[in-house]
Amino acid sequence: MVEKQEQFKVQVKDLHKSYDGVHEVIKGASLDVAPSEVVCIIGPSGSGKSTFLRCINKLEDFQDGHIYLDGIDLADPKVDINKMREKIGMVFQHFNLFPNMTVLENITLAPTQLGKEDKQTAIAEAHKYLKLVNMDDKADVKPSTLSGGQQQRVAIARALAMKPEVMLFDEPTSALDPEMVGDVLKVMQNLAKEGMTMIVVTHEMGFAKQVADKVAFFHGGVIQEIGTPEQIFDHPQKEETKSFLDKVLNV
Amino acid sequence: MRFAKIKQMLLIPFAALLMLVALAMPGQAQAASKKTYIIGTDQTFEPFEIQDKKGTYNGKKPGIDIEILREIAKHEGFKYELKIMSFNADVQALQSGQIDGVIAGMSVTEERKKTIDFSDSYYNDGVVLAVAKDSKIKGLKDLKGKTVNVKTGTTGSLFAESIRKKYGFKLKYYSSSNTSWADVKAGNADAAIDDGPALRYGIANGTGLKIVGKQMSNTPLAFGVKKGHNKELLAMFNHGLRWLKKTGRLQKIVNKYTGKKAVKSQVVADTSIMGLLKSNAGALGAGLWMTVKLSIVGIIFAMLFGLVLGIMGIAEHKFWHGIANVIIYIFRGIPMMVLGFFIYIGMPTVIGHKIPLFTAGVLTLMLDEGAYIGAIVRGGFESVDVGQWEAARSLGLPYYKALWKVVAPQGFKLMIPSLVNQFIITLKDTSILSAIGVMELTQTGNTLIAQNFQGFKMWLIIAVMYLVIITVLTWISNYVHKKMKI
Repeated sequence: MVEKQEQFKVQVKDLHKSYDGVHEVIKGASLDVAPSEVVCIIGPSGSGKSTFLRCINKLEDFQDGHIYLDGIDLADPKVDINKMREKIGMVFQHFNLFPNMTVLENITLAPTQLGKEDKQTAIAEAHKYLKLVNMDDKADVKPSTLSGGQQQRVAIARALAMKPEVMLFDEPTSALDPEMVGDVLKVMQNLAKEGMTMIVVTHEMGFAKQVADKVAFFHGGVIQEIGTPEQIFDHPQKEETKSFLDKVLNV
Repeated sequence: MRFAKIKQMLLIPFAALLMLVALAMPGQAQAASKKTYIIGTDQTFEPFEIQDKKGTYNGKKPGIDIEILREIAKHEGFKYELKIMSFNADVQALQSGQIDGVIAGMSVTEERKKTIDFSDSYYNDGVVLAVAKDSKIKGLKDLKGKTVNVKTGTTGSLFAESIRKKYGFKLKYYSSSNTSWADVKAGNADAAIDDGPALRYGIANGTGLKIVGKQMSNTPLAFGVKKGHNKELLAMFNHGLRWLKKTGRLQKIVNKYTGKKAVKSQVVADTSIMGLLKSNAGALGAGLWMTVKLSIVGIIFAMLFGLVLGIMGIAEHKFWHGIANVIIYIFRGIPMMVLGFFIYIGMPTVIGHKIPLFTAGVLTLMLDEGAYIGAIVRGGFESVDVGQWEAARSLGLPYYKALWKVVAPQGFKLMIPSLVNQFIITLKDTSILSAIGVMELTQTGNTLIAQNFQGFKMWLIIAVMYLVIITVLTWISNYVHKKMKI
């Protein structure tokens, strides 16, 4: 079969990862993501889905396999990972805003430091993204004064300010109080509507059903099953998928 | 690309080191024109060396040795500069070439002849036994099981060692006679064996000891140079000494200090704390200023060195972690006094030229305190949440940009309490440099007490002075800390 990597925005091929060189946490996982596609990765805790996601921008190193972004292989040591990361935005479970900077400075830091924009432009752009996540009124405060939901929306704006081509979300609502979850998911949904390519590790089954183009069930270090939300939620093929969905949906 | 900037940062302290070494150079460069000889001498060792209130030998009663040296230098037409250290450090500095000659009431012994070329003798000296005024000890025979104080490396200590077994006493070593005697007076030791003239002079000035028995040895005192070196200096000294002897000037000098009308050291009329403060204000001020200067320059260099070590300790390439670990391990492991001696007395033999005292002091502080600061800086960086790194890197910031813009500012905040603590320790540690003869506050205290014998009050004054500057330093750092929080 001829590989046409260009037709995918992100392509993960046979990824292997272990921390100690003996036990693999990711055992040959593969995933294709088309441009503007939203893929939700679900699965039990400790299955390696977050690690898998973190490999995509190489926050985690991996031993074997390939990750292509627009056909460029991240496993190639000659590839400048810093340049690649500029195209891959990431949102973390614990937001990881920089506490020593204001909301605005959090957002303008990378574009100005990396010479993408001059200060004036960066500030104007930052306000644009803050409006997008409905946080513009908090531009000049320190992150510690914000609620978790507000911080996470700022974190999304910060990632968007680098104008990434792909966004990775690592359980973005897991650390939030329930009443904050909705605001964050809405921002993500709008982003999806505007055609952002997104890979989302999540426990929010409702979001996955509603927003995802594809849902991937991750278990035992590999993607066991991938399909449309209907295929996965209504007609799961594998026993593991069925039992996992039973547990999370019947709570 | 960004690495270049970090490299520059790493270079600063090395450049600073080079500067320090460059500062050390003039000592050698002078040699070409009219040579100024560096002569090592003791701290106050009456009647041979008597420091004035400022700790110098520039006064009218500087002691027998200094007056002899003055007259000979004048007669022979050479220039000299005095280096004041403990006698032991003098002998070592002579061997390492830090100084050209030693005049310090030094006895001629067979042992010393192996490494030192002596001049003709200018005085015959012998050691005596001294005890506290109310002591029942009458002679060597009463010393069984007792403790006897000696001054390290002196003829007195050599003599005491040779008879120690025979009389069954224990030895305690001091680097200054004054401390050794004060210890006997305080009752911590039973007796002292020391140079006769020195002890007699001290007793005349109120040490509170008495001499028992007779002079126990007869050894010539002489000026010395490193064996095989400075031959012209030795020749000039001998030539001048012959002239001093022939003209009776030598006898005049000796009589001035040991005759019936011998000078007494500056008798301090007012021995109240206020009186001591008033009469020694100049010397204490100079000592305080040296301590402050050493602390400030030392802290700046230690901070730079520590910063480099800290950054190496969390560098992107693991190789640097190992280097930083080894450097921190070495300099935290060596006692500061040993490091000081190594740099000031040991290094010149290796690098081939002298290291100025202040430079040696700053270098010692930089390496020792810098190692601790390095560990603090590394620890501060490491205790920043790993999520901060990940967020910064995920935005595409390269390693050192993420470190400098995101991690370091947060890390420094965490470090401040430990750094302030280390600054205070650095300030106190400057006192250790008194061992290599830096005339800072502690050394000033040593010198003053050698003259006025007011141990309790003088050390109290000096302790309070340290407390005051440490309080000021703490205030300043608290102020900075507060400012940074806002």
